[in-house]
Amino acid sequence: MIELQGLTKVYGGKTVVDDVSLTVGQGEFCVLIGPSGCGKSTTLKMVNRLVPLTSGRIVLDGEDVTTLPAEQLRRRIGYAIQSIGLFPHWTVAENIAVVPKLLKWPKARIADRVEELLALFQLDAAEFRDKYPHQLSGGQAQRVGVARALAADPSVMLMDEPFGALDPITRDVLQAELARVHRETGKTIIFVTHDMDEALKLATRIAILNEGRLVQYDRPIELMFEPADDFVRDFLGKADLGLKLLTRRWVHQYVAPAPWADRKASMGELRDIVASHGHVWLVDGEGRPEGLFGARLWRADGDPLGELSRVHPDWMATPDMSMKEALSRMVWRRILALPVVDEQGRLSGEVTMAGVMGRQSEGQAA
Amino acid sequence: MTATILDDGRRRLVADRVLLTLWVAGAAAVLLLPFASMAPNRLVSGQPVMLWAALLPWQAWTAAGLAALLLLSALATPLPRALAHGLTLAAAWGLALLVLYGIGTYAGRAVTPDMPAARVSLGSAFWVVLFCAALAMLDAFQRLKAGMLPQVLYAVATVGAVAGLFALDLFDDLSILREYANREDAFAGEFLTHLALVGAALGPALLLGLPLGLLARRRAKLRGGLFGLLNFFQTIPSIALFALLVAPLSALGDAVPVLKAVGIKGIGAAPAVIALVMYSLLPIVRNTYAGFAGVPAAAVEAARGMGMTTRQVLWRVEVPLALPVILSGLRIVTVQAIGLTVVAALIGAGGLGTFIFQGLGQYAIDLVLLGAIPTIFLAVTADFFLQILVALSKPEGAR
Repeated sequence: MIELQGLTKVYGGKTVVDDVSLTVGQGEFCVLIGPSGCGKSTTLKMVNRLVPLTSGRIVLDGEDVTTLPAEQLRRRIGYAIQSIGLFPHWTVAENIAVVPKLLKWPKARIADRVEELLALFQLDAAEFRDKYPHQLSGGQAQRVGVARALAADPSVMLMDEPFGALDPITRDVLQAELARVHRETGKTIIFVTHDMDEALKLATRIAILNEGRLVQYDRPIELMFEPADDFVRDFLGKADLGLKLLTRRWVHQYVAPAPWADRKASMGELRDIVASHGHVWLVDGEGRPEGLFGARLWRADGDPLGELSRVHPDWMATPDMSMKEALSRMVWRRILALPVVDEQGRLSGEVTMAGVMGRQSEGQAA
Repeated sequence: MTATILDDGRRRLVADRVLLTLWVAGAAAVLLLPFASMAPNRLVSGQPVMLWAALLPWQAWTAAGLAALLLLSALATPLPRALAHGLTLAAAWGLALLVLYGIGTYAGRAVTPDMPAARVSLGSAFWVVLFCAALAMLDAFQRLKAGMLPQVLYAVATVGAVAGLFALDLFDDLSILREYANREDAFAGEFLTHLALVGAALGPALLLGLPLGLLARRRAKLRGGLFGLLNFFQTIPSIALFALLVAPLSALGDAVPVLKAVGIKGIGAAPAVIALVMYSLLPIVRNTYAGFAGVPAAAVEAARGMGMTTRQVLWRVEVPLALPVILSGLRIVTVQAIGLTVVAALIGAGGLGTFIFQGLGQYAIDLVLLGAIPTIFLAVTADFFLQILVALSKPEGAR
């Protein structure tokens, strides 16, 4: 647990961080976010005193560390940065071993720890231990950078836009890995980003800063439903939040039983189902969806059945598809429901436009 | 066929134009310029002796054969390039040694018991052939993109072979070694003086320059003034700087007798060393600054963020990463100081320049060479070893 109490930074008469107080509980993933120049990076660097405090206190696990020599404090706090900063003249293993060496761990323990961390980030120790930083890809280098920050098993980790310089695909992979590592290690993390997508994916708490002041510090879903002021509302709004939320939601979370019938059903039975459910899926002998009555935007008035639509392969949703993609298919194909199929292609349920809306208001699943 | 086809479809005849140019220059020198000169004694001017007259027939034919091989490796056909460069290295090596061996044996034959005062001097064709052979070697190594190790081995083989020829007393009848024999004691003394002057200049230059370079990196405000001053030193011609120091130092020596007693006076080593230090400072300070400035800022931030003290950041991160650039600076000033020390002989500091200026005064070219050749040898050797040091200091991953 780490408490920041009234952190203030004045540079040449200008207050860049103004009385920021927040408590990050054990195991929380706190994301500091805000527009450029809001003081989020400065706040982060004040925690390990790379930026000296003008005033304020830092309490780490109940101990006031404000007057502890900066070097000692830093060895207790992990630190990872956007530009990674691996030491080019040292191997991967030597890079990871920096803080344990500063803390004078015995050699065998350091070697074990290096292996353990490489395994945690799914880097093969035999292959990577003796490589030099210039032999690594950007993603591998940042894995090593984060592993290095974790090396001495600090209770708190500071991360300053660590994935900001990576390509989008690598960034997604590393975000997922960091989320997993966070779950597995239970570290307290303070993470700076300007990317709301990233914040929503990773954070258990989000601190929004503007002009050096902490505007709101809340769980992500509380931020969205109860923004503290217009600034927060604008900041979230700009981030097309609804769609972004759906990128972290999965079809299996939204799936509902699908109304269905096979070819033996009479037109009357079909009409009854459509009357109660609005649409009906027709399945073939194997249980695979092949047709749809209703649920089309251009459904002809009069006959509630409308016309039969043949199920297009593009319509199919799978349980592990993101809801953003499912929604996109509905919009693109102009249908109000998608069949969810299992591995054999059999109808196992459906997701509907109404279901997306309903679920949205229930708040974010933990 | 390995002939290279040009874009326009023409077959290229020559693959290595540098080598061909060197070959033509060497051949022209052999045909037009004297290989050696022969005089009955030191006082009369010598008669030119062409290569084919100086060398024994087997030597001349071998030289012609090696020259033919060199021409062959310059052509696009029939050799593949890597093999051609290897052949160049072998043939140029053989040719250089053959030329040395040839002129040694010629001197041995020319200086007969009935003409004990006869003088055999090195002619211009000798120098041109040797020079072209050396350039051909360097060019071949460049084109082969050879690593450090083969170059070191080649250099060792060359120096070893030349040393072997010296050990056989092969060159003893050459005029330049006669001059050496006459001044054997003085030579050893001046050689050591030369080394001592260079060392006495580099020591203080490093002691001053390294901290100044680091200071220039840490304090941006000092940088402009510091580099301005050091640049100004660099623009003063060396003789002028030596001369300028004579007056104040002699005044100082007269005023403080203790200083005079330890050698601080107008002429001699003191002004020479001071001037050499002033010249050496700029490259050292500049390279030290550039070395530290080139350390990735991210590495320094990470090092601090992980809890290294300022001193640990300096010695564990900054110095190792800046070292190759700093050592390149040392390489520059070492070679420069070895050359400039020659001029210091003019103000009585001694060193190999003594022979050069004596020789110039007496119009004895061999005496000039007795000063010049060891100076060049020193500079090349120092450059060679410091180059190895620079390569070794590069981070293992980036070598």
